[in-house]
Amino acid sequence: MKTDFSKEFIWHVLLLAAVFLMLWPILFMISTSFKDLNQVFESTLNPLPWPPTFSNYLSVLESFPLLTYIWNTFFIAAVVTVCKAATSVLAAFAFVYYDFKYKETVFNGMLLTFFIPITVLIMPNYLMMAKLDLLDTPWGVILPCLVDGMGVFLMRQTMRSIPKPLLEAAILDGAKPHQILWKVVLPLIKPSVLAVSILFFINSWNEYFWPLLILQDKDNYTLPLALQMFISAEGGSEWGIAMAVATLTSLPPLLLYCFCQKFIINTFMQSGVKG
Amino acid sequence: MSKNSKEALLYIFPAAALFLLFFYWPLLQNIYLSFFSWNMVSPTMKFVGIENFTELLASAELLKILLNTVLFVAIMLILNFVLPYLYSFVLGHLVHRWNAFYRSALFLPSTLSLAVASILFLWIYNPLAGPLSIVLGWFDMESPRWFKESYLVIFAICTIIGWKVFGYNLIIMLAAMVAVPREMIEAAKLENASNWVIFKKIILPMTSSTAIYVFTITVVFGLQYVLVPVNMLTQGGPDQGSSNLVYIIYQYAFTFFQTGKSAAYAVITMICYLAFLYVKNKYLEKKVYYEN
Repeated sequence: MKTDFSKEFIWHVLLLAAVFLMLWPILFMISTSFKDLNQVFESTLNPLPWPPTFSNYLSVLESFPLLTYIWNTFFIAAVVTVCKAATSVLAAFAFVYYDFKYKETVFNGMLLTFFIPITVLIMPNYLMMAKLDLLDTPWGVILPCLVDGMGVFLMRQTMRSIPKPLLEAAILDGAKPHQILWKVVLPLIKPSVLAVSILFFINSWNEYFWPLLILQDKDNYTLPLALQMFISAEGGSEWGIAMAVATLTSLPPLLLYCFCQKFIINTFMQSGVKG
Repeated sequence: MSKNSKEALLYIFPAAALFLLFFYWPLLQNIYLSFFSWNMVSPTMKFVGIENFTELLASAELLKILLNTVLFVAIMLILNFVLPYLYSFVLGHLVHRWNAFYRSALFLPSTLSLAVASILFLWIYNPLAGPLSIVLGWFDMESPRWFKESYLVIFAICTIIGWKVFGYNLIIMLAAMVAVPREMIEAAKLENASNWVIFKKIILPMTSSTAIYVFTITVVFGLQYVLVPVNMLTQGGPDQGSSNLVYIIYQYAFTFFQTGKSAAYAVITMICYLAFLYVKNKYLEKKVYYEN
């Protein structure tokens, strides 16, 4: 065992170096959010500022409509997540349960959207939202984000793994397709649906670019957009406050990750497996 | 399997309609807009034929944009494809302890917003008082102005993307890595094969399908991820030094208000992407080992 470990030692050093590079910025963000102005500049590298101060968080609460931002972000992310999950499950069910013309073409067409760069789409979509009079509303952000090529792909992967005899038995029992979807398929794939939903939620929560174009009024901002306000004065001195907002923005994804870690990692691992 | 295609249509309709409306329609719309000169607000659009394309192809800017794009892609391929590939080999086959810890820790940054990552690294790279400038100071080095110098800015932005995406790509590669039978590796070790030989002769061929997938998303998504830090930290500057094929579409539409040029760039970018995906499917996928 001991010789094994000494053989592995160099690899552990390499891995630990990578872990340090990955975790240090996060630790640094959290610790800076508890530093006052002096500590930010005088003990920049000290990860444990003493005494820690909550003044950054308090002034964020005072000078920003923080709860509004949290609600805006949550509302958009929740609607997007539910709709993406629904459209993905429905489409995947059609691909697995039915046989129809051009099935492969339609599926590939959906998967291909996954690879279209967002800037190619933003101007026409922006013009469409303007025409629909949805600029500066959460619905303008939500509407183009209700489907996901990856979601359809992952859901189809999962549904394919359901043993065929199970579906055939249900058909013999006289079950209608929607009953099969609701009573047989969904209960079996619940974990995957939940995992994909968590991913959708985290991604939407973190989204910056599209909301930036649609939302103009500061009261409609989401948390990632609020972050941008601290950048205007470059080299500004508000680092403690900026890091406090960054920490708050990161909290929900981090918590979700901590509690559902295995789940999330497994889904991500699946997403690379080709079908 | 049921052959009732009308019923199938019912299930597929919501997704298909949304995909058509918000993904495929805009692509056509771009082609249409690229033949006009317009500023997004004026009530009239002027038809200019292929003028947008000819102007764009003749400009010195295009060359710079393409060069930047290649540089972005090259650095990101190292940080987000080569490194995760090697690390996933180490994590999957060379260490037998703390694997779960390494996996979770390395994946953590992937869950955070690029907006958070951008502001975090803006402070880390701050040339006057940022942590990196302090560390460089220990070695008597002066911190460069990371986001203000051409080329350096591309490197700095790529490290932000690298930090965020490394763990995600590592996890995907790891899934392929652990699918390689352990016995094969053990057998090779008994024959005294070095780790490098094992990687080259066993791992590389057996994980190539996933590797190509990660390669693809590194290129395709990488350029897209770059949008956030570029927009937040540099707006394409200094002197278009951090702009690229994907960002310039946004610039022409929402900074310069020239929809025609923006759409023309969008069309060109889309053609580049399709060419890339086509070449990938045609040449790379053929040489690949698929398990099933």
